[in-house]
Amino acid sequence: MARMSIDTLADARLLVVTGKGGTGKTTVAAALAMAAADRGRRVLVVEVEGRQGLAGLFGRRSLSYQETRVASRVHGLAVDPEESLREYLGRFGAAPLARLLTWARLTRFITAAAPGLGDVLLVGKVWEAATRVRDGRPAYDLVVLDAPPTGRVVPFLRAPETVAELARVGPIRHQADRVKGLLDDPARTRVVLTCLPEELPVTETLESLALLRAAGLPLGPVVVNQVVADRLGGRARRLAALTRDAAPLAAAAERAGAKLDGAALAVLLGEARDRQRRVATQRRLIGELQAGAAGLPVVELPLLSDGAAGPEAVRLLAGMLRAAEPGSARERARAGA
Amino acid sequence: MSTRGRPRGLARETGASLSWLEEVVRTARIVICCGSGGVGKTSTAAAVALRAAERGRRTCVLTIDPARRLAQALGLDLLSNTPKPVTGKGLRADGPGSLDAMMLDMRRTFDEVIERYARDSEQAERILANRFYQRVSSTLAGTQEYMAMEKLYELHESHRYDLLVVDTPPTRSALDFLDAPDNLNELLDARAFRLLIAPAQRIGRGYLRGLNLATTAMTRMVRRLTGSDLLAEVGEFFAAFEGMYDGFRDRAQRVYDLMKHPSTAFVVVATPDEAALREAAFFARRLAEDRMPLGALVVNRVHRAGLVPAVPAGVHERLGAGDADARLLADLLEQHEALEALAEAEQRRIGELLASVPSLAAVQVPLMAEEVHSVAGLRRLGAHLFAAVPA
Repeated sequence: MARMSIDTLADARLLVVTGKGGTGKTTVAAALAMAAADRGRRVLVVEVEGRQGLAGLFGRRSLSYQETRVASRVHGLAVDPEESLREYLGRFGAAPLARLLTWARLTRFITAAAPGLGDVLLVGKVWEAATRVRDGRPAYDLVVLDAPPTGRVVPFLRAPETVAELARVGPIRHQADRVKGLLDDPARTRVVLTCLPEELPVTETLESLALLRAAGLPLGPVVVNQVVADRLGGRARRLAALTRDAAPLAAAAERAGAKLDGAALAVLLGEARDRQRRVATQRRLIGELQAGAAGLPVVELPLLSDGAAGPEAVRLLAGMLRAAEPGSARERARAGA
Repeated sequence: MSTRGRPRGLARETGASLSWLEEVVRTARIVICCGSGGVGKTSTAAAVALRAAERGRRTCVLTIDPARRLAQALGLDLLSNTPKPVTGKGLRADGPGSLDAMMLDMRRTFDEVIERYARDSEQAERILANRFYQRVSSTLAGTQEYMAMEKLYELHESHRYDLLVVDTPPTRSALDFLDAPDNLNELLDARAFRLLIAPAQRIGRGYLRGLNLATTAMTRMVRRLTGSDLLAEVGEFFAAFEGMYDGFRDRAQRVYDLMKHPSTAFVVVATPDEAALREAAFFARRLAEDRMPLGALVVNRVHRAGLVPAVPAGVHERLGAGDADARLLADLLEQHEALEALAEAEQRRIGELLASVPSLAAVQVPLMAEEVHSVAGLRRLGAHLFAAVPA
C-alpha cells in the first residue's frame, strides 16, 4: 500500500474530497474524518449536496445545519444554501433583510434563481468553519468536505471567484479573496480524489487531476476503493494446471474429508480464475493511475466483504487510512522508543 | 435474471415471455434512466437505445452528463449538441432502425432556446448580451436539467425519432430534472420577486407600496454588499425575459405531461452497494409519489456465486495443515464463501428495496469481466437486460 504524502491527516486544515460518482467519495470523506479524529484532531465533516449521504455512515438518520457530534472528536454538518444565506446576511449586519426574505419566502427562490450564488454560500460556510477561532484557537483542527463530484468540483470551488468578478469591491470580493487564499494554500488544503480500479473512473480521475492542477488547487492523495486482494498470486500456474486436471485437488479434498465433486471443484476454480482476472485488470489500471498521478500518493482500500455502508465500514477504512499515513510510522517509532 | 411485476401503462399484448425492458424497447416513446453516479446508467441507456435501433426503431440517446461517459461507451470521441449517427463497429446499418446520440451542450442549448423563443432578434440580443446571463447560463446548477428538458421536448416535437432515451445526471440532479417544470412555475409565479427586481414604474399602488419600500432597502443592501449593481443586472435579465414567461411555463407543463404519459418509462439504475440502493429507493419512491410511469429497477454488477456444497467443520483446518494443493483448496473455499456471503447480502438488500416499492420490476445484471465501452459491450449488456423471462 502506498503511503500518503505529507501528513495529510496530521497537518491539513481542509480536505476537499471529490471523485467520479459511485467511487466512494462520501465514505472516504467520513473515513478521513474518523482517521484524523483517531489521531486526536477535532474534525468537522461537511456535506453540501443535500444527499444526507454522511448521516448513515455515522449511524444517524440525518445531519442538519447545526454542527452535531457524530463520533468522538467528529462533528457533522449538512450545509444548506438557504441557511447559509440567512447566516451570511446576518454576519454583514443585514439580519433585517434576512428576516424580510424569510417572511416573503424568497430565500429558496433567490438561491434557486442563482445557484451559482448557492455554491458561493456553501463554499463560504466551509471556509468560515475551517478558519473559525474559538477561545484563541481554531474551533476545528480539520474540516473534511464531501464535495460535489469531479465533473462539478472546479466550478463549485471557484464559485466565489466567479461571483466576485461581478462584485468589484466590497465584502463579497474581500471574502472571495480569502476563500481562494485558503483553497489554494498547499500548506493548509488538499484536494483528495477517490477512484475505483476500473477503466472509466481511472480515465476520469486522470482528466480531473489535470483540471484541478490547471485550476491551481493543491492536490492530495488519490484513494482507490474496492481493490480486490490478491490471495492466490504466485500460484497462477498451479491453478491453470488444476483447471486442466483437477484430480490432485479432488484427492486433497478427499483426504480432508470434504465431499467436493468435479462440478464443485470446477466452480471453485472458475471463481478463482475470474477473481485473478479482476486482480490483473485492477493492477494494470492502478499502475496507469500511478503513472498519470505523477508523484501523488495512491492509497488503496479493499473491497469490503458485504458492500455495506455504515459506521463499521467507516471505522475499518479509517484504520487503513491511518496506517497508510507516514505520520503513523513516526508515531509507532515514538511509541517504541 | 429475475423480473417481477409489470409496468403501468405500457402495452401488454407482447406476451409473458418478453422481459419488461423488451416491452419498453418496442413500445415506449421516451425512456428516462436515473440513479446515482457510477452505477452504469449511461451504458444501460445506450444498451436500451441500441436494442431499440436493432428492433427497427429510429432511436436517439441523449446524455446530459458532462463527463462524456456515453461518448466513451459508444466509442465516439465527441458528441455535439445535435444528434449524430452512432457508427460503432458491428452496428447494423441496413434495417429500418437507426441510432443517434448526442450530449447536451448547456450553453449552446440555452442560447438556442433564447433565439427560438424571443419575440424578435432584438430581445434575443438583449438577453444574450446581459452580463448576468453570460455568467450564469453555463454555470448555473439546475440549468442543465431545465435545458435537458427543453432538448427532450424539441426532439420529441421534431418527430424524427420513435424512441428517445435520456441519461440523467446523478440522482440529486435527476430529481431537479423531474422538478424542472414545477421549479420553473414556482419561479414564474413568484410575482413578489418580479416586483422586487422590476423597475419602479411597474409596481402598482396601495398595498404594494410597502413592498416597494422593501425593494428599495434590498437594492441598497445588495449594492453595499457587492459594490456593484448586481441586482440591477439580475433585474435587467428578468425584465429582458418579459413576454417569454408564458411560453416557458407552457412548455415546462407540456414536458411534465410528457413525462407522465403512459408511453414514457422511467428506469432506475443501481448497483447492489448499500448507498446506490438507498438512492434508488429514494428515487423510486419519489417517482411513485409523482405518479410517474416507473417500472424497472436495473441492478448492475451483481455478484453471483456458483453452487458448492458446504464442507463439514474441521475440513478447513485439515486443508490448511495439508500440502500445497490442500492449502490452495482451503483458499479457494474461503474465497467462495466470501463471495457467497457478498452475493447473499446483495440479494437481501435488493429484496428490501423491492419490498419497499410495490410494483417495481427488477432486472439484475451480473458483474461482467469487462467494462462496457464498445457496441459489442453494449450488446453483451443487452443480453442480460433483455433476457426472456422464464414462463
